[in-house]
Amino acid sequence: MDYDEHGLGQLLEQSDDIQADAMRASRAQLGEIVEIGQERRAHGAIDRDEVSEFTERRSTALRKGIVGAGAAAGLGAAILALGQTSAFAAAPSDVQVLQTAAAIENLAIATYGVALTLPFIGGASANAVVKVFVTTTRRQHVEHAAAFNASIRALGGIPQTKADPVLLKVVDRAKPTLTSAPKVVELAITLENGAAETYVKDAAMLKDVNAKDLTASIMGVEAQHVAILLAVRALLAGGAAADIALPPPVAKLPAAAGSVGFPNAFYSTTAARPATEGAVR
Amino acid sequence: MTTYYESDDTRSSGAGDDLGATTAPSDMATSESEMRALTSDMVDAHRDSFPQMRASIAEWREVEGETARRSLSRRGLLAAAGAMIAGGVALATLPAAAATRPGLRAGAARGALPDMAGSVPLDVVVAGLAASLENLAVATYAAALKAAGAHKLGVVPAAIGDFATTAMAQHKDHAAAWNSVLASARYKPITAANPVYAKIVDDDFAKVKSVTGVAELALTLEGVAAATYLEAIKALSTPAAVAIAASIQPVEMQHVAILNFVLGRYPAPLAFASLAGAAPVSTAHGLDFAKS
Repeated sequence: MDYDEHGLGQLLEQSDDIQADAMRASRAQLGEIVEIGQERRAHGAIDRDEVSEFTERRSTALRKGIVGAGAAAGLGAAILALGQTSAFAAAPSDVQVLQTAAAIENLAIATYGVALTLPFIGGASANAVVKVFVTTTRRQHVEHAAAFNASIRALGGIPQTKADPVLLKVVDRAKPTLTSAPKVVELAITLENGAAETYVKDAAMLKDVNAKDLTASIMGVEAQHVAILLAVRALLAGGAAADIALPPPVAKLPAAAGSVGFPNAFYSTTAARPATEGAVR
Repeated sequence: MTTYYESDDTRSSGAGDDLGATTAPSDMATSESEMRALTSDMVDAHRDSFPQMRASIAEWREVEGETARRSLSRRGLLAAAGAMIAGGVALATLPAAAATRPGLRAGAARGALPDMAGSVPLDVVVAGLAASLENLAVATYAAALKAAGAHKLGVVPAAIGDFATTAMAQHKDHAAAWNSVLASARYKPITAANPVYAKIVDDDFAKVKSVTGVAELALTLEGVAAATYLEAIKALSTPAAVAIAASIQPVEMQHVAILNFVLGRYPAPLAFASLAGAAPVSTAHGLDFAKS
């Protein structure tokens, strides 16, 4: 395996520094959300008009075909079943949308946690870069979940600490089949892409400006996870596992490695999860 | 030296205009077909995403009349512009992909507001700004591919060439989407590159002597675009326009991730996308917002 341990350590340190700076900005944003939430609660918590307005906007979007539910790729029937879920329940509020987002994050955290227990992901036989990716990405999802739950509290809602129930079934069904790195990568692509598409849809739909900002600041990060996973999947499929390295042997990489990570000019929402799927019941 | 690119007619918007770029041969040609097969599935998905985009633009058309009627006052424009300028200023305090080029950042954070308040809706200004940034990205990638073809950048790895070609095609698609929005609002398309950023990019590009230099410049541009869309989601008032910005921002973030990877950096270091480097609305000054 082509892996510069010292270099990767430095990269991670640099990444942590950048992350710390970003977290300061995020905390400032969350502070603003909390402030607004307190103000709202002082005036009677959730605005019923908000719910009806959201419903109307979502209905309009559905009529225009902006959002929808469709089949997701990968892991056969278990994942295809995702596309058969009903699209939207009635009257989702911003809080419900955020609870679903937190539920998706909680599932991602749990799934990456399981992945790290597998020898070919988190053990001695793992590709070092893949292991770092899974560890770092899991940590980012922890931060996302915390941010979504802070936003929920700010809006007077109940934080979501459980995993998305529909996606959880998919992951549970997939667990026994996770016998190799490509299969884990495939499941991760499904979860990350589902998260990204859900947040793209939500960013256009949420009414609360801070919730919208937060969601928008996360959707692109999930899309980056997808890009990396798509590249890793392609390299594994091409028998080039050794090229999954930092820095990569750029001159050796197949041409398609440069573009396989971003297949669409516009991020789709066909795999977006239903808005109330992960809401607190 | 082997010309490694192949024409790929599945790509949109004239991708492949500069396919003559000379690139390094890959020693993994056998795996290329497998990767292409994977890419092919994604191209299908790409086509599937276009109807959603057209639907967003159609919705824009429907609400455009109302939007145009409530053309913003100068106070409104200043307030919204202030928010976007704040994004530009904030980049001085947050490191990010776009925060690696101080000249670009400093230049972008200053400047007069467009002299168009009261006559051009803010959403139209933002659409024009976005189109101008996309045009600049297209022009920059085209120039890079041309320089590569003229052997001015040394040996160009095949993956880098493929990245540039594909990213350029996607930026063309983005520009076309924003120009469709402008057309729906009965404005002429913005076909020029953003004048503020173009000056800075031109100066920087003249100093580039290697593929790494081009990748660094591309990283800056992609970071600016991603941050600008993040800011635009806040600034735009039309839901359909927000949906368009939201569907593009993640793609620019993906470009950033792959550029980070090929430059040997951790591809997704931030848990939250940053506003650092967002283009202030003042950089729309000089664009021709003419009624069609």
